[in-house]
Amino acid sequence: MTEPRKEVRIPLVERVLGANDEIAATVRADLRRRGIFTIDLIGAPGSGKTALLEATLRAIAGRRRPAVLVGDLATRRDGDRLARWCDRVVQISTGEGCHLEAGQVRDALAGLDLYGVDLLFIENVGNLICPVGFDLGENAKVGLFSLTEGDDKAAKHPYLVTAADLILLNKIDLAPYLTFNRPGFEADVRLLNPTVPILGVSSTTGEGFEAWLDWLEKPGA
Amino acid sequence: MHEFSIAEALAGQVLPHVPAGARVREVEVRIGMLRGLEPEALTMSWQAVTLETPLAGVALVMDFVPWTITCGECGRAWTSAVPFVECACGNATPAPVGSDELNIVSMTVEEDEPE
Repeated sequence: MTEPRKEVRIPLVERVLGANDEIAATVRADLRRRGIFTIDLIGAPGSGKTALLEATLRAIAGRRRPAVLVGDLATRRDGDRLARWCDRVVQISTGEGCHLEAGQVRDALAGLDLYGVDLLFIENVGNLICPVGFDLGENAKVGLFSLTEGDDKAAKHPYLVTAADLILLNKIDLAPYLTFNRPGFEADVRLLNPTVPILGVSSTTGEGFEAWLDWLEKPGA
Repeated sequence: MHEFSIAEALAGQVLPHVPAGARVREVEVRIGMLRGLEPEALTMSWQAVTLETPLAGVALVMDFVPWTITCGECGRAWTSAVPFVECACGNATPAPVGSDELNIVSMTVEEDEPE
């Protein structure tokens, strides 16, 4: 005869991503100590994350000392593109991973000379959902959308919009050729995140870059 | 599919709490709707990552924290599974506030009755 068994409910107060968060806190403290402001750039594949960084690195050359970590499932193509504009670039190959995690950032930073660096861009894997919930130790999350993706993408990805410290709307030079409803897009953003700045930019023409570069100088201002 | 990473992290957080010799029956988590986690994908991932561990076959109970919707025109507030809904007063754009909670709440274990 089977012995009677007793069920016991054990309360646990734990964050599921507690291990990631602990690494992220260490990364954040280390970067802060070094005086490095860190941006986690999150956007869909094809939204223009790498092109935005290329144009940004060109624009801040000589004024800031940037470093870049770039995550992709495969290839070193983005890292190679960015290395033309910045001598401190690390490509992180995530394999099957759809997002970066804090441990990957910590390991990548260990292989990077951060002396003199004051600005770190982390180009996350192209994805509007998975990267948002993983703290990397950044100071600010920048959500990148683009006109070619359609004006409903903010409403369909509320976590990124809610978590973002800045929303960039890229490819505004293509507005004459598209039916993107910008007031509608901005209204969706505003419903989810009433205070986040929304800046339109074009990495191709440089339109809107002044405001983006100003934000980089005084993020959160 | 971030559900796999979440399931891996969850198993990693729960395993150290399993009392020696206890059989775990279920693990309960609270998930804010902002997280965008699919219950089926999370269950499948949980089953995959716990194979051949003391958590194999353990039920994952998901308690989803809904959106709170507040109407700026009539002041009504309610919860919803989706963020963009119309208010009964006719306001098409009441404000949605989502939770990004992702916490382990409890673990239920089966222990032998003491002799």
